[in-house]
Amino acid sequence: MSKCLKEMRIGLALLLGLTVLPSCGGEAPDLHVLDKPKNVDMIVKRDHGDFWNTVKMGAEVAAKEYNVKITFKAPPSENDIDEQIRLVDESIQHQADAIILSATDYMKLAQVTDRAAYYKIPVISMDSEVASARVKSFVGTNNYEAGQKAAERLVELIGENGRIGVMNFVKGAKNADEREEGFMDYAARFPGIEVVDIQYCESDERLARRLTREMIRKHPDLNGIVALNEIASIGTAEEIQRLGYGEKVKIITFDSPAKVMELLQEGIVQGTVIQNPFNNGYLAVQLAVQALEGIEVPERVDTRSKLIDLDNMLWPENQKLLFPFVK
Amino acid sequence: MKLERKPKLLPFPRIRLSFKLRSIQTMITVSFTLMAILVVVAVSFMLYNKFAKTAEENAYLNIQQIIEQVNYHLELYVKGMQDIYEVVEDQIHETPDISSAVLRERLTTLLRTREDLVSVGLFTPEGTLVLDVPDLDMRRNTLLETQSWFESARARPRELSFSAPHIQNLYKGQYIWVVSLSRMMKYRENGKTKEGILLVDVNFRTIDELSRKVSLGKRGYAYIIDDLGNMVYHPQQQLIYAGLKYENLEPVFEYAYGSYMDKSTGESRYITVRTVEPIRWKIVGVAYPDEIVTTKRDLNQFVFWFLLVVCAAVVVLAVVVSAKISQPLRRLEKSVKSVGQGDFSTPIHVSGAYEVVQLSKRFNFMLHRIRQLMDQIIHEQEAKRKSELDVLQSQINPHFLYNTLNSVIRLAERGKKEEIIATITSLSKFFRISLSKGKNIITVEEELEHVRHYLIIQKIRFKNKFDFSIECEEEALSCLTLKLILQPIAENAIVHGIEKMQDEGVIRIAAFVKDERLTIRVSDNGLGMTRKVMDQILTGGVRSGGSGVGVKNVNERIRLYYGKSYGLSFESELEEGTTVTITLPKEKTEEIRRERGIL
Repeated sequence: MSKCLKEMRIGLALLLGLTVLPSCGGEAPDLHVLDKPKNVDMIVKRDHGDFWNTVKMGAEVAAKEYNVKITFKAPPSENDIDEQIRLVDESIQHQADAIILSATDYMKLAQVTDRAAYYKIPVISMDSEVASARVKSFVGTNNYEAGQKAAERLVELIGENGRIGVMNFVKGAKNADEREEGFMDYAARFPGIEVVDIQYCESDERLARRLTREMIRKHPDLNGIVALNEIASIGTAEEIQRLGYGEKVKIITFDSPAKVMELLQEGIVQGTVIQNPFNNGYLAVQLAVQALEGIEVPERVDTRSKLIDLDNMLWPENQKLLFPFVK
Repeated sequence: MKLERKPKLLPFPRIRLSFKLRSIQTMITVSFTLMAILVVVAVSFMLYNKFAKTAEENAYLNIQQIIEQVNYHLELYVKGMQDIYEVVEDQIHETPDISSAVLRERLTTLLRTREDLVSVGLFTPEGTLVLDVPDLDMRRNTLLETQSWFESARARPRELSFSAPHIQNLYKGQYIWVVSLSRMMKYRENGKTKEGILLVDVNFRTIDELSRKVSLGKRGYAYIIDDLGNMVYHPQQQLIYAGLKYENLEPVFEYAYGSYMDKSTGESRYITVRTVEPIRWKIVGVAYPDEIVTTKRDLNQFVFWFLLVVCAAVVVLAVVVSAKISQPLRRLEKSVKSVGQGDFSTPIHVSGAYEVVQLSKRFNFMLHRIRQLMDQIIHEQEAKRKSELDVLQSQINPHFLYNTLNSVIRLAERGKKEEIIATITSLSKFFRISLSKGKNIITVEEELEHVRHYLIIQKIRFKNKFDFSIECEEEALSCLTLKLILQPIAENAIVHGIEKMQDEGVIRIAAFVKDERLTIRVSDNGLGMTRKVMDQILTGGVRSGGSGVGVKNVNERIRLYYGKSYGLSFESELEEGTTVTITLPKEKTEEIRRERGIL
């Protein structure tokens, strides 16, 4: 009897073997491509603006490539931290397969990030970090370095003696703090350079204008100003032009909205540090897929920052970075 | 007797599985299944290969067609743009003065009709703006002298050049991705003919959208490069600039038109190249055979389930069919087994396949025959017992004893001492042999001795009315015979043949061996008998009376013991006498009979 069963088993194995044989013909697919679409939630800082749209574009390209269903979420404004916490919680409740988070606040988003990790949802931190050890990976610009680049160029422009103002965006956001730190650290190398004012515009253009006005009023002898993100850049640069301080006050900005590029060509802005939001979005999704597949992900992925000025703005690779959208 | 056991055999479709390796059921199931599976697998393998190949070819063909179509659209578009450029050129040519309002008006109208026409500009070879439509302020720091459209117009003045898409940074208020068409041309200003560079910017959006819409499978895409290898369009252009993506452009340059498999990125990709002729851009379609394999995988899965279902069906069918075939056989086997255990009364249930039915019928017939033979044996045994009882009875036949003693009394009265002694002696020997220690078989010698004593007694009793002689061959003496077979015949001869005769009778007994048979012949010269009587003797019509053991009984006993080829035969003629011939097998020792199991 057992012999018979054994024979039958061998027969069955043979049969299965024969049927499986043709299925072995194909090449093993790339490990990253998911067989079944997974839900990845991307929670960013703001639901509008070229920067985030470019992130989104990159993420969509990756989503198509890796068979991911991506959902974009963002609070209406960048300082609405509670709303962002709520959005992460919502993603946890909806059992997203992975979360990509660009934290509006380094500390305040930590708890909810840990909670996501507790529910075994891998979290990829993008653009700006969050104070959680449970984050799988961080992808974004090295903001400290970006801050240093801005400082280096500004010092080149104004010389080793001068007074500088800083227009930061949200205090507590990791990337804002890092850029500021990088900038300050570099500036501190030059004893003649004095940082006279640091303001936070909460990524509000009107507030940025107002703060710039106040800064100029308080320090009319200002030699240079650095604006540390897209909104701060527009507000600051336009206000400086309006006040007639163009070219007198050297401006280094961050990111490349059309308005800033216009001002760059007009000579109001001397240089802008740009990140690579497209790559941020793309790589974040790629890393999320890797984490989902159980492939080890690097702790940090640096998508380099670049200083753009009149000389290099028309280089083909920079054009694509500066103007990611074909309109 | 009639199918009492039938309820035990449950009717079909109860399928009892028998997994004995060499049972019919197993053999049929296994061979049937294997055969069917082999065939199905072979067929599906062939079909699969055929389908997969066709699917693959179709997929590749489809990809080529898509790229072909994009190429066609692009060519049309580019030609349209060239036409427009020439129209603009003509308009400027026709106008006597470049600053005329009519020209501006015409060009503005032209710009309005074509939505994707961004701007028209005329520059001096030094880069100074002569004419721009729409009328916008120039930006500072445009660096137009370094831009490719300007450079190529100066380098190749007669050739209409198409730039790679770039940001149009000349005019205030917008940053638009454009493709620039440019060429040197002559225009008239203030009556002088001058050289200038005509720039027509076409919005890149149309080409971008056209390319973006190309979808080759789930992940496949198309990209465009210009003749210098610059990326015109790539869905992941930024990744390429950042070095995160890589397109192997080298083989693309070798092809103007064609398809090949590229494995430079580690993953095999199906590349299709087409060239947009007027501007020598190359459209490159990238498809992932993996996805075609996905179709294959679907097919695979289908084939797999199909096989599984077919195999399951075949197994079930094989089990059912084999059960149907083997079950009646096993029922037959059970019946035969019960017959083997001694149950002859239950006939086999006849059902199933033709062969099984035939077998069952034959078996039933055989069973019937066995039963018949057994009945016969029982009957014969009974007859044997009866005849033995008869013999037993005859051993101490009271009638014969009474007659003999009577004659002894009569002899005593007459004082015939000699004869008394002879009679008593013979009687005693007669009985001794009759009994012979209960044995059934004795030697011929003893049997002859027995009949001799009988005849002596009878001869004295019948006052020498007959004489007798007993002859025996030496060889026959030691042969074996049933006992008490001669005495009834002798008695018969005396009672029916000699007693009523006037003359002296003679009884002759002769024993001899002939043709391996022992023959004992008893003949008398008495009255004889008719054929009718002769026939009746053996069928039991005539009863001899006397000693009680009839001639018929003798015949039956011989036949029971030795078989139908032995027994008695009569020859008789009226007034002449009768001869009874006893035929027996020639048997010498008792061992033979032991072997035969008669004793």
